[in-house]
Amino acid sequence: MKHLLSLTHPIQLVGGLTIWSIWFVAIYGGLSVACAVAPPDPLRDMWTGINLAVGLATLGAMALLLLLSWAAVLAARRTSVRRECYFGNVSAGIYLFSAGATLFVGYPVIFLPPCL
Amino acid sequence: MSDIKDATLTPEVQRLHKGMQEVWGNPKGLRALTVVNHTTVGLRFMVTGAIFFLIGGLLAMLIRTQLAFPDNNFMSPEVYNQVFTMHGTVMMFLFAIPILEGLAIYMIPKMLGARDLVCPRLTAFGYFCYLFGGIILFSSLILEMAPASGWFMYTPLSSGEYSPGPGSDFWLLGITFVEISALSAGVELVVSILRTRTQGMALHKMPLFAWYILAMALMIVVGFPPLILGSILLELERATGMPFFDVAGGGDPVLWAHLFWLFGHPEVYIIFLPGAGIVSTLIPVFAGRPIVGYGWVVAAIIIMGFVSFGLWVHHMFTLGIPQLALAFFSAASMLVAIPTAIQIFVWLSTLWLGRPRMTLPMLWIVGFLVIFVLGGLTGVMLALVPFNWQVHDTHFVVAHMHYVLVGGMLFPLMAGLYYWLPQVSGRMPSERLGKWSFWLIFLGFNVTFLVMHWTGLLGMRRRVFTYDTAMGWDIYNLISSVGGFIMSAGVALLILDIALHFRFGKKAPQNPWGADTLEWAMPKPPTPYNFVSLPKVETRHPLWEEPELSRTIYEGQHGLANIEHGRRETWGSDALTGKLRETIHLPSNSWWPLFSSLALAVVCISLLVRVYWVAALAALVAVVLLLRWSWENGAHPKVAPDATLEPSEPPLHFHTMNGPGVWTMSVSHLANGSLYLSLLFGWFYLWTVAPEWQMPESSPLSMPLLVLAGAALTLGAFVLSKLVRRLRRRNDVGLGGGMYLIGVLGVLQSALIGIVIWQAELAPIESAHDATLLVALVYVLIHALLGAILCLLQGLRVGYGFVSAEMPMEPVVVLRLWHYNLVVYWTLFVAIWVMPTLLGGAS
Repeated sequence: MKHLLSLTHPIQLVGGLTIWSIWFVAIYGGLSVACAVAPPDPLRDMWTGINLAVGLATLGAMALLLLLSWAAVLAARRTSVRRECYFGNVSAGIYLFSAGATLFVGYPVIFLPPCL
Repeated sequence: MSDIKDATLTPEVQRLHKGMQEVWGNPKGLRALTVVNHTTVGLRFMVTGAIFFLIGGLLAMLIRTQLAFPDNNFMSPEVYNQVFTMHGTVMMFLFAIPILEGLAIYMIPKMLGARDLVCPRLTAFGYFCYLFGGIILFSSLILEMAPASGWFMYTPLSSGEYSPGPGSDFWLLGITFVEISALSAGVELVVSILRTRTQGMALHKMPLFAWYILAMALMIVVGFPPLILGSILLELERATGMPFFDVAGGGDPVLWAHLFWLFGHPEVYIIFLPGAGIVSTLIPVFAGRPIVGYGWVVAAIIIMGFVSFGLWVHHMFTLGIPQLALAFFSAASMLVAIPTAIQIFVWLSTLWLGRPRMTLPMLWIVGFLVIFVLGGLTGVMLALVPFNWQVHDTHFVVAHMHYVLVGGMLFPLMAGLYYWLPQVSGRMPSERLGKWSFWLIFLGFNVTFLVMHWTGLLGMRRRVFTYDTAMGWDIYNLISSVGGFIMSAGVALLILDIALHFRFGKKAPQNPWGADTLEWAMPKPPTPYNFVSLPKVETRHPLWEEPELSRTIYEGQHGLANIEHGRRETWGSDALTGKLRETIHLPSNSWWPLFSSLALAVVCISLLVRVYWVAALAALVAVVLLLRWSWENGAHPKVAPDATLEPSEPPLHFHTMNGPGVWTMSVSHLANGSLYLSLLFGWFYLWTVAPEWQMPESSPLSMPLLVLAGAALTLGAFVLSKLVRRLRRRNDVGLGGGMYLIGVLGVLQSALIGIVIWQAELAPIESAHDATLLVALVYVLIHALLGAILCLLQGLRVGYGFVSAEMPMEPVVVLRLWHYNLVVYWTLFVAIWVMPTLLGGAS
């Protein structure tokens, strides 16, 4: 198990996108449930509790992914095994992409109301 | 080098080849139906897929004939609806996926230096399910009762009220049957790529094509179950009246759209990825240099595989979803352009830095690049919500889809066909006929579909069977139809070329294109055992770096060059490093796959004609046949009469605790888990969204009985875990008795779930709530029964001596199932009892 958590293990190739997927399902599912259960006043703009929650989730997921990306770069630099270096670097790239994807998908919370 | 078949072999090596031929060779006559060899079954998949392609193409020509002129009466609206539905269905389900799977089944073991896939009988079973499912589905067209609701079968149009005939049933049952085939291929391709690479081929050294197929196979495993679930629910609604998609009964038709597109969008990438894999394989060969940025391509494949699951709602932009949610999916849809662009730049860079040779396969690759980039650009346009609203359901979308699918799949497939044809036939393709065919198809395609963008922008809806001349669409439709017929002429020429090829093609040299991968290191046409000896490969370009490899393999100078034991064997290697771990003993030819799929075909037909007692009987027969098939496994004397090994060889896989069976079970649970999560999604979706959903004040399910059933399951899983831990220490004391005990606990759990269902007095016809509960409980009941039966059989197998401390693999496989059951049962308990009880009747 400890081996799997190493940032140079190939399982990390899917780590970033798995986090992104969980975040994506959570914000879409959460938004749908929140709009069904407790929709804000339709006259309100984007400054609602739902947008705030989605925004915070976005920033949190992005920060985590950036951190993991940097950690994967460091892990790849530390190892002398070529295979581990390869998987560390590719994983770092995918973590970085996932961080960017999180921001890109989540940023509309700053200009769109949640349930209209 | 000259053909390795011309090499002079020592008598000993000749005997080795002869022995291999005897053990691996295909029988003739009726027994050809028992063949499980991946080369033969892969070819069968591809030939069957090609036949369905011609049928789908014929249907397309009927559509274009009808639309060529305004107010045309060539077909009635009813027939037109059937034709366009079947065109889409045949092309997507009976051509694109199966032919690509066939290519993967044929090619993957050859590229990885293996002798076969890890579950050869499953390969054959998958083929028969595909064949029978395809025939059943296609027969509906001949019987003039084909589905007519479009290839995505939107409810309520496809529901009983608006499609009362058997057309939708043909689609739902036939497609589900075909999808068994896709899933079985998906599971075994994943395990084969991870566990049967030749010695030394680490994960980051395997050919890029294998990465693409790995991603495709995993996407099939995760992506197809939502549609299987949707099809089961819709068929249940049509057959029994359970209102999953009926608003009045507490259902919601939009649930179908979600389940379909959860499958449908990844499906586009499932089709594209193998095509891109062909491109990534051919471009380095014809550029004469390694691909630029192997790691970038791997990253792009993985990103594409994941992100494609986050786009499904972009097919539903007009369904009334909140703007913010639309923005999420619009952004995700644009994101997928990044991994696509990475691959295109990698291919262009490789061509730029190499010395490209403009051969026939490369012509198709260039055609691919042009068409696919155009399709990708309109894809980004469609990702923008306002534009999407404007062109939704118009011919613009039809044109975009064909640019992406024909460009992304058909053109690379043709490139691959011409590239690998010498490997299959031992002959070179005809450049002249091939080029004529290419130009006709390329021009015909663009004339048809480029113009169709304008037709769509002018407002022509898809699926309209005719149009008034006042609309101004006449000339565009006529041009598209002419283009379609030009394309057909190209396909006809292609067929002629292939037919002549096998008779008149020039003899191919050993490695005609100067390729780097192992499929060119074997005799042509390939022997049924692929390689007489299995080489150690530690490079991405084995034939470039060791040109003599073909000869040394053929001369039996590498591993597993022994056939006196009479077993079919291939290496089992570490998923990550490629180090040898075990010798995988592969099963040989068998009737079980054919008989099992025949029984399932009877189930399918009986459900179609609604003779349910025959369906139940046939289902029982299918289960018995499948269990009987599983009985001949591992150390069963029929499959392993001789378990001796050379001292230098790793152990036979059933002597280990991590053989391919364990991996196969784990990957199967990915598919199973995807189905279960789709079911949970359906439950929560209807609960929160369906306007008429009725959640009762208190749960109709008995909590004590549910907890007791869960306790039996938990205890069984605990005891099984303990037995497996003992086996790891080579201790099999009490193994047989323990297995029987766990089996009894499984039976107890099943009985208790049965009582819960009986006591609940559910009304599944009246309410979607009760119908969903019933489906969920039946799902766990089936799993409980399966867990019980497998444990009881394990007890028997211990008695027969097939399972012991020396042969400990099978209980580990069964433990995977029990762990899965444990997670599913308790999460379901929370979803269907705890949460409704805590939240009360809030809906």
